[in-house]
Amino acid sequence: MQSKIKVIPTTLKVKDLPPTAISMSNMLFNKTGSWRNYKPVYDEKLPPCNATCPSGEKIQGYLYLVKNNKFAEAWQLIKQDNPLPAVCGRVCFHPCEVECNRNDYDESVGIHNVERLIGDYGLRHNLRVKIGIKKKQQIAIIGGGPAGISAAYHLARMGYKPTIFEAERQLGGMLQYGIPSYRLPKNILQKEINSIIKMGVKVKTGMRVGKNLFIEELAKKYHAVLIATGAYKERNLDIPGEEARGVIGALDFLHEANLPRRQAGSGKKPTISKDVVIIGGGNAAMDAARSALRMGAHPKVIYRRTRNEMPAIPDEIRDTEEEKIDFIFLAAPVKVITKNNKTVALECIRMKLGSADSSGRRKPIPVKGSNFRIKTGTIIKAIGESPETSFIPASLLKDNLVCTDKWGMTAQNNIFAAGDAVTGPKTVVEAIGAGKRSAQAIDKYVRTGKVTHTEIPEVKPVRFEQLNTAYFEHAPRVSMPHLEFKQRVKSTKEVYLGYKPNEAITESDRCFSCGVCNFCDNCWVFCPDMAVIKKKNKYEFNYDYCKGCGICASECPHNVISLVEEKK
Amino acid sequence: MRNEIPLEENLNSGHLACPGCGGSLSMRLALKALGRKTYLVLTACCWSIIDGPFPYSAVKIPLMHTAFETAGSAASGIRAALDILGKKDITVMAWAGDGGTFDIGIQALSGAAERNEDFIYSCYDNEAYMNTGIQRSSGTPWGAWTTTTPESKGEQKKKIMEIMAAHRIPYAATLSPAYPEDFIRKYKKAKSIKGTKFMHILSPCPPGWKTSSEQSMKLSRMAVESGVFPLYEIENGTKYTLNNPTADFKIKPINEYISMQGRFRHLNKEQIKFMQENVTSEWQRLLRKLKYA
Repeated sequence: MQSKIKVIPTTLKVKDLPPTAISMSNMLFNKTGSWRNYKPVYDEKLPPCNATCPSGEKIQGYLYLVKNNKFAEAWQLIKQDNPLPAVCGRVCFHPCEVECNRNDYDESVGIHNVERLIGDYGLRHNLRVKIGIKKKQQIAIIGGGPAGISAAYHLARMGYKPTIFEAERQLGGMLQYGIPSYRLPKNILQKEINSIIKMGVKVKTGMRVGKNLFIEELAKKYHAVLIATGAYKERNLDIPGEEARGVIGALDFLHEANLPRRQAGSGKKPTISKDVVIIGGGNAAMDAARSALRMGAHPKVIYRRTRNEMPAIPDEIRDTEEEKIDFIFLAAPVKVITKNNKTVALECIRMKLGSADSSGRRKPIPVKGSNFRIKTGTIIKAIGESPETSFIPASLLKDNLVCTDKWGMTAQNNIFAAGDAVTGPKTVVEAIGAGKRSAQAIDKYVRTGKVTHTEIPEVKPVRFEQLNTAYFEHAPRVSMPHLEFKQRVKSTKEVYLGYKPNEAITESDRCFSCGVCNFCDNCWVFCPDMAVIKKKNKYEFNYDYCKGCGICASECPHNVISLVEEKK
Repeated sequence: MRNEIPLEENLNSGHLACPGCGGSLSMRLALKALGRKTYLVLTACCWSIIDGPFPYSAVKIPLMHTAFETAGSAASGIRAALDILGKKDITVMAWAGDGGTFDIGIQALSGAAERNEDFIYSCYDNEAYMNTGIQRSSGTPWGAWTTTTPESKGEQKKKIMEIMAAHRIPYAATLSPAYPEDFIRKYKKAKSIKGTKFMHILSPCPPGWKTSSEQSMKLSRMAVESGVFPLYEIENGTKYTLNNPTADFKIKPINEYISMQGRFRHLNKEQIKFMQENVTSEWQRLLRKLKYA
């Protein structure tokens, strides 16, 4: 550039000038960058969806790839963090959509719908992830639920060949035995698990800790052990008559209801009465009620608070309501009425809401003398779970949970723990995230003998007010095709049918790309000084000429450009 | 990706426009649309400075500096000369500010338009004589502060588009650099039409409007959205086409546009209300014209 610029000396003589006044050179000699007080810099920031994803998915990244019709690349990107995109696209409670800045504009981006399509695309096209250099250390993972699978997957990706010990016949844990097939078809789960097994994960089923498997022995035999046993011990109601026939736990019910006929112990589906009552307001309660409906019953759900306090995923509450399942709010069970040790009715008491308790929800208080009875032959308890810890060495426990540091290491150096066993009952994606973090910690531990704690400074995600919304058009979310009520109750077919590729592209295009450049050209188009250089996959500032007006920063829809004071 | 914006740059960096100048961006976009085969006629205006001192020029095309009142006549002469030389594929563009168009150059412009001379006349309107120190022009809006209207301007802005429409020229359009696709499209359309084409560009001026430089495009956008400067085309002086991105013919209130500018800071609520009434009635008048077109 420099050599081309012809600077005319200021001491020109008249005889040197042409007969008429014509320009002899351009203005490039005039480096207007020296006028600048503020300097624009490309400074990519953290989108709120990525910031909130418990498994750390690069959501904005894959939405951008899908938008550009690059499904395989999107699958590879999602697989860096989440081994089960087809599963998570179906069952995750998608906190990303709650945090999505588009909520403040019209409707959040349907991230989980796109994720589901990417996951299914990967399964359909048999895509494979790249596996790292082979490592010889042996790692045992106890529990084949989401946390265990996630840890095994990430270790396999690093080149290990970990072994999963699973108590049940099949891997999947709650995904396999807790979540009904109308939410998560078994073949999808199986395919996604199989693709992980193919990466070199060894699986030993029928291995129950405390029975034919002992943690201390594993810790001696393997370089590292991960406890990912989950939380499946059901809480009791602690009311008279609870031991009667006809009172069952939600997980037991779902487990039985979920087993293919030939596998179930009794050889048939659990028998429930038509007037089944479900107690609780969480996801297990919703799953139990909807499964019971599909078995021909008319379930009622009893919850001691109101709809607003229900801990279940809002989407699931909505689906349950759509299936016309009765809710009885502000009522709590006090007694199971039995006849010959068989359940015949449930006595309840009315509640009212008091002041907020430690969970931030308003505490229910019984209303004296308001008892009433509901006739029922089956009562399903769905009031929460806790981890089974009787088989875990007491030295690793604290408050009935496995106690670990931030990276999942327990008091004993080569024993790690992750998932619900550590946190108490949480969600699938949180277990997947915990599995990923412990895989990273185990990798570090078996290679170096210790886990170094690197503190990552907290970065604040981009807020809606920081975006320039003038360049976004209002567009409703692409609706998800689903089965109608009548088709739903007849079968256990999946309720939601999934986006088509073009629908996913349209939906991904709604992403604001908060804090990440998506090559919209605004900075380049609006620069009055031609100081933004458009390159193939990026833009660059030409600070020789940038006057620092700041138009690029204020017109960037995504808040990618920051203005920093020029040090002179 | 803004695929409709040509990659070609016919303006060099290093020009002398103030940071955040709407006029320099307008020139950049206009020259992108017109291409290298363009002859630029420049009357006295900010751009006489922006282009650089003798013997330098910031544009990559031939440019002739002329006197303040001569944009119309100089462009007519250049057109005639090029026609004689047989260079009919060269587009002539006169480029003048609001002072050189609304006030000083109007007789030459009117004469050229009456003869339907074949060139594009671009008026980048920054609503005062900004280059010489922010003196009011007949393009300055009612209520604005300038150095010659230290209290506030008492007269309305001249309706230059109606004057040009009254000449029944083949094409006249209003443009805003905040809408680059529309801007480029209108210049390409003007290039394809024979006869006098009049392009009226609202061009924010951070020093003259007393705004901060990064807000130039926001101001341009708000002027369009609030109906202060609606985007439309007039063909043959009668056929109006609205290009405003406002949905359902609704315009936004002018308050934010006004409050962002230091030149309107002194206005009280009643005065802003008066301005709003004016904008609304002008907008409705424009809509009526659309209906009759």
